Amino acid sequence: MPALFSEGFLLGLSTGFYCLAACLPLLAPYLLAEGKMAWDFNFGIFLQFTGGRFAAYLIFAVLASVLGEAGRYALPAWALPAAMAACGFLMVFLAVFRLAGRDSPCLLKSDLNPWFHRIPLLLGFVTGINVCPPFAAGLIRLLQLADVPKGLVYFIGFFSATTLFTAPVMLGTPWLGRRASEIGRLTLLLAGLWYLALGLKFFF
Amino acid sequence: MEPAVSRGKKAAAAGLFFALVFIPAFIFSGLIVGREISRLYAMVWAIFSGAAAFAIAYTGKVSFYRRLFFSVSALAFLVHFKLGLLDKVLAPTCFVSTPYCHIAMAPYFLGYLYQQYLALMSSGWRLWGPLTLGAAWLFVTLALGRGWCSWACFYGGIDDGLSGAVRRPLVGTGRLRFLRDLPAALLIFFLLVSLANMAPEYCLWLCPFKFTGAFLSRGGGERAAQYGLMGLSLAALVAGPLLTGKRTFCSYLCPFAAWQALWGRLNPFRLTGDAAKCSACGTCERACPMNAVSFAPGARPEILAYCNLCGQCLDACPSAALRYTVFGLELPSFGGAAGALVSVKYFYVFSALTLSSAFSSLWAPAALRDMVKLIFG
Ligand code: SF4
Ligand code: SF4
Repeated sequence: MPALFSEGFLLGLSTGFYCLAACLPLLAPYLLAEGKMAWDFNFGIFLQFTGGRFAAYLIFAVLASVLGEAGRYALPAWALPAAMAACGFLMVFLAVFRLAGRDSPCLLKSDLNPWFHRIPLLLGFVTGINVCPPFAAGLIRLLQLADVPKGLVYFIGFFSATTLFTAPVMLGTPWLGRRASEIGRLTLLLAGLWYLALGLKFFF
Repeated sequence: MEPAVSRGKKAAAAGLFFALVFIPAFIFSGLIVGREISRLYAMVWAIFSGAAAFAIAYTGKVSFYRRLFFSVSALAFLVHFKLGLLDKVLAPTCFVSTPYCHIAMAPYFLGYLYQQYLALMSSGWRLWGPLTLGAAWLFVTLALGRGWCSWACFYGGIDDGLSGAVRRPLVGTGRLRFLRDLPAALLIFFLLVSLANMAPEYCLWLCPFKFTGAFLSRGGGERAAQYGLMGLSLAALVAGPLLTGKRTFCSYLCPFAAWQALWGRLNPFRLTGDAAKCSACGTCERACPMNAVSFAPGARPEILAYCNLCGQCLDACPSAALRYTVFGLELPSFGGAAGALVSVKYFYVFSALTLSSAFSSLWAPAALRDMVKLIFG
C-alpha cells in the first residue's frame, strides 16, 4: 500500500501544474470575491474546495476500480458538463447578487442560505471530475489495479501531491481588501459565464 | 510656459524642445526603417513628433497636441497593418506581420512563463523569446509607465482621438461606474483561462480588430459568439467614445490598462493634486476621458490607479491644482522660458514623446510611404 501511495504521489508531483491550471480559474476568482482579510476564513474556503476535489477523486477511484474496463470513463459523459454548467450558474448568481448589493430585491437577499457557503465544495468537485492528462494516466493505472482499496490509496497519494500545487493560491489572500473583492466579484461573474457556456455547449 | 515670458523667448525655448525630441526620434526612426524604405519618411515622422513637442512647449498645453500625435500614430497603424491585411493596395512594406500586440501579451503572461519554463526544462535554454518581450516591456514601463496608454498604444489612439472629437456627449457613463474595475477582472480572468487552455483567449474572444481568421474558431455557434464579442469590443472602441466622449474601450475592456495601472507604478511620474488650490468644482472628473477621477460633490477628487497621465484634466483645471510630479515631488523651479523646460512636466513629455515616436516608427513612416504610393503611383 505505501508503494501505491507514493506512486500516486509521484504522479501528482510530476503533473501538478496541470491541476493548478485546471483549479485556478475556479478557485482564484471565488477566493478574491469571497475571501476576507482573515487567513483562517480563506483557509476554510480552500479546505472546502479541496474537500470537493477529494470527494470527486474518491468517487472516481471507486467507480473506475469497480468498472475495471480499460478505456471507459467511470462517469457518464454528461456529468462533467452538467456540473460545470451548474457551477457556472451558481458563480454567476453569486456574483450578480454581490454586485447588486445587499439592498437588491433578490430572493437570496441575506447570507443565511447555507448553499452560498458550500459553493467551494462544488467548485472543487467539478475540478476533481475533470479528466485532464495526469488524471487519465491515474485512471489507466486504476483500471489495471481493479481493486477498490488500492485504487483509493493510489488516488489519495495523487490528491496529496497535487494539493501542494494548489495550496500557494492562499498566500496572497490575507492582503485582500475591499477593492480586491470588488474586482474579484467581476472576475467571478466572468468565470461563471465562461463555465456556464462551456457546460451548456455540450448539450446543444 | 510662464505667461510673463515674451513670445520670442517662448518660441526659442519651444524650438529647443523641438530639437531635443527631433534628434533622438530621427535617429531611432532612421535605424528602424532605414533598411527597408527611404530615411526621408523617418525624417517626416520625426519632424511631426518634434512639431508636437514644439506646440506643447509653446502653448504649455500637453493634452491637445499629445492627442493629435497619438491619434495620427494610431491611424497610421490602421492604414499600414490592418487595412494592409484587407487590401493589397496598401500592402505592408517593411514589416510583413503585425508587431506583437501588447494588449494580448498581458493576459497571456502566465502562458509565457510556462513556455519559458518548458524551454528551460527541455534544455532549450536559448529560447528566450518570452523573456526578451518581458525585458522590452520592462524598459517601456520604466520609461513611460501608464503613459503608454496616452501616447503609444495604437488602439488607445483611436479611442482617444474619437473621444476628443465630441463636443457634447449624448450619453453619460455615470451608470457604468460599477464596471470601472472590469479591465482588472478581465485581466485576471484571461490570465487564468489562457493558462488553463494554453491559448491566447483574449485574442480569440475580445480583440476588436480580427481581420484574419487566425483567431477564430472553425464555425458554428462558437464563431458566432466570437463575432458578437468582437462587435461589442469594436463598438466600445469606435461608437462608445463618439457617444460618451470617454475612452470606453480603454476604460472598460482593455486588460492591458489594468496591467499598466499595476506595473506603471514602477515609473516615477505621477499626476498629483494640490488640495489647497483645488476648489472641488469637479471639472477634472468631467474632463477625464479614462473615468479615472473619482469625485463626490464638495470633496477633493481622487485620482485612481487607471490614470494614464494624459494631461486632459491638468489642462482643464481652472485652479491649476494638478501637476506632473516625480513620486509626488516637484523639481526646484528655474526662471525664464528655457528654465521652464527643466521641470517634471517636460521631462515626462520628452520621455513619452521620444519613446512613442520611436515605437510608432514600426509603422508610421511605412504608412506614409503607402499613402504616397497610393496617391502618386
Ligand atoms: S487601455 Fe488598452 S487599448 Fe487603451 S491605450 Fe491602454 S493598452 Fe491601449
Ligand atoms: S486623471 Fe487626468 S491625467 Fe489621468 S487619465 Fe484622467 S484626465 Fe488623464
